[in-house]
Amino acid sequence: MSGQLSADVVVIGSGIIGALAARRLAQQGASVLILEAGPRLERARVVAAFRNSPIKGNWMAPYPPSPWAPHPIYVPQDNGYLKQSGPYPYPAEYIRAVGGTTWHWAAQAWRLVPNDVRIKSLYGVGVDWPLSYEELDPWYQEAEELLGVAGADNTGSPRQHPFPMEPVAEPWSMRRFRERLAPAYPVVANTVARNSRGYDSRPACVGNNSCQPICPVNAQYLGINAVEAAEAAGAKVVPNAVVYRIEHDTKGRIAAVRYYAPDKSEHRVTGTTFILAANGIESPKLLLLSASDTYPNGLANSSGMVGRHLMDHPSTSLTFYADEELWLGRGPQSPSSINTLRDGAFRSQHAPYRLDFTNISQVLNVTNDLIKEGVYGAEFEKQLRWRAARQVNVKNVLEVLPNPDNRITLSAEKDAMGIPKPEAHYAIDDYTRRAAEASKTDFARIAELMGGTGLRYSADGQFANNQHITGTMSMGNDPKTSVVDGFGRTHDHENLFVCSTGVMPTAATMNSTLTGVALALRTAEHILPAKNTHAGAMHSGHEASLA
Amino acid sequence: MALDELDRVAANRGDPGDPSRRRLLAGLLTAYTASLIPWALAQPAPHADRGAFTALSAILVGRQTLDAAQATRLYDALAAAHPNFPADVQALLTLINERHVDPLQLQGVLDNEHSPLASLPRAIVGAWALGVIGSGEGARCVAYETALNAVIVADVLKPPTYAYGAYGSWTRKPI
Repeated sequence: MSGQLSADVVVIGSGIIGALAARRLAQQGASVLILEAGPRLERARVVAAFRNSPIKGNWMAPYPPSPWAPHPIYVPQDNGYLKQSGPYPYPAEYIRAVGGTTWHWAAQAWRLVPNDVRIKSLYGVGVDWPLSYEELDPWYQEAEELLGVAGADNTGSPRQHPFPMEPVAEPWSMRRFRERLAPAYPVVANTVARNSRGYDSRPACVGNNSCQPICPVNAQYLGINAVEAAEAAGAKVVPNAVVYRIEHDTKGRIAAVRYYAPDKSEHRVTGTTFILAANGIESPKLLLLSASDTYPNGLANSSGMVGRHLMDHPSTSLTFYADEELWLGRGPQSPSSINTLRDGAFRSQHAPYRLDFTNISQVLNVTNDLIKEGVYGAEFEKQLRWRAARQVNVKNVLEVLPNPDNRITLSAEKDAMGIPKPEAHYAIDDYTRRAAEASKTDFARIAELMGGTGLRYSADGQFANNQHITGTMSMGNDPKTSVVDGFGRTHDHENLFVCSTGVMPTAATMNSTLTGVALALRTAEHILPAKNTHAGAMHSGHEASLA
Repeated sequence: MALDELDRVAANRGDPGDPSRRRLLAGLLTAYTASLIPWALAQPAPHADRGAFTALSAILVGRQTLDAAQATRLYDALAAAHPNFPADVQALLTLINERHVDPLQLQGVLDNEHSPLASLPRAIVGAWALGVIGSGEGARCVAYETALNAVIVADVLKPPTYAYGAYGSWTRKPI
């Protein structure tokens, strides 16, 4: 055992959620240590890696996994890290690196709609959350001000205070959707962590149209911004620290965590409070890995719910040619959507959904299609321009209900460090499939209103995944059916908290990051309230305890 | 075969190219293929193999001008990745020359005949249009900003990661 570190608060995982919880606690005077399994990345190198990549349609390509902290890769080959037990594949993508998976995201920073947290009471499906939308509102606001969120008030999510920024300027393509789909479908600006003006020393968007895999100019808030903010507040980050075990004492409190360095040297970190923030797959994996004689099913798992209720947002889509030149690819990638189907009485029968328009340049896809079709000669250039100007896509973002059979378990297979790989057990039920079927009517109507030709629906029964990993450490008031309480504290271990989209009891229809951040800020406040004189005392008692 | 005829075709199209260089490339073509790429006849062709590649490339991607430096880079990369590449290029060019195959019909003809050359057009067009040589784990990128799929739309779009313009410039009608 080499090296021994200690801190008031030990955070496992340096993604946007863990880092912003760490920042808040460090600001209150706590000594905070963030352990990150992956390496530190440089933005410029990621940009270069994308430009030099032969598979530009695969946004994981600029983020190759480290041998000591692998993450799932599927293109050009499945690296076999996230094992699949079926019956439906769950090919989740995430990044193990300092800053985490929001290195590449579309920066969609949505609130839920109020009824999302009461679907059991209102619609007889899923579960209710242990807190109300109104309780979340101030934490959403704090999260939005930290991330720099631009948005409008017409998306169905009420708020007490204004957005930090006006919506990002609407691309021409989205304007034409808005004009032509009205009044049948109101097309509104997405709520995004993207600057519509200079904000927090970061510039306004200049339309690089590479939000995924990387914003080259820092106009979009990323996890690395959160890490830098945490460091500025005094938190320390240890990269390449692969936590493989959480240890408890005889009273069931967490005493320490152990990690491997890339050379597999072992390190132990002690602390007063521990926050697990390693995403909705790696976090439950770690809890399960930490089983002991006292907790044979893993830590925080007296309910048996750790890893269960895995949810995400499956999507089906329609691609077609509009009857006018729209030229997707000018401005940011995900600017607009239809939000009127996020809630309604129909939720007792089928899943709600959001309808999302892409503004991703179609040039790459069109080029690949033309080559596949063997369109050569003068027609190649002509067709490339015609299709790139007119090809558009609309997709649904479907809610999945919590189902204990959908889960993450430990695989019998191990990674290069000898740590069991995560294994996904997943199915998409009829509640979600009925919504996919219902949305086909919307797809057809949208295509009709846009003068669409060459309609190409995604194959029946085939869903794309959206990497919104939720539910695997659900919050709830009942320790028998949930992993953490309404403040993110594990029911079983007084000083172990979870900050993750994994604590969301239901997935709703919105990208989960902002909700995960809001819940984490609320957890941080619960651990160490702002302006609490106790904070100073706690700090003085532990200062200089970092090695 | 008629260099004179080629010259006439070129002249009719107003070819401003250097006749001595033009003949190098022109010598690889028939009147039919020359008619597909009249302006491309002015492309430099340092030797027959590279000339055949340039001519075939111009026919496949339907471009009248191709960047010479990029042609060299792509030829070298393709030749390294494909055994027998120069001979296959010559063979495909000869097939098009002799049978007057419309580029739009070419892939269908090769596929129907189970031609050993059937994979060649996609490899060449993929190299020019995407800047990518090969596929799967062996694929590599040799061009991005200068790949034809960026060049062809450069009046409207920037390649992803390059700034479109000042904030809000994308609100305007594209063309």
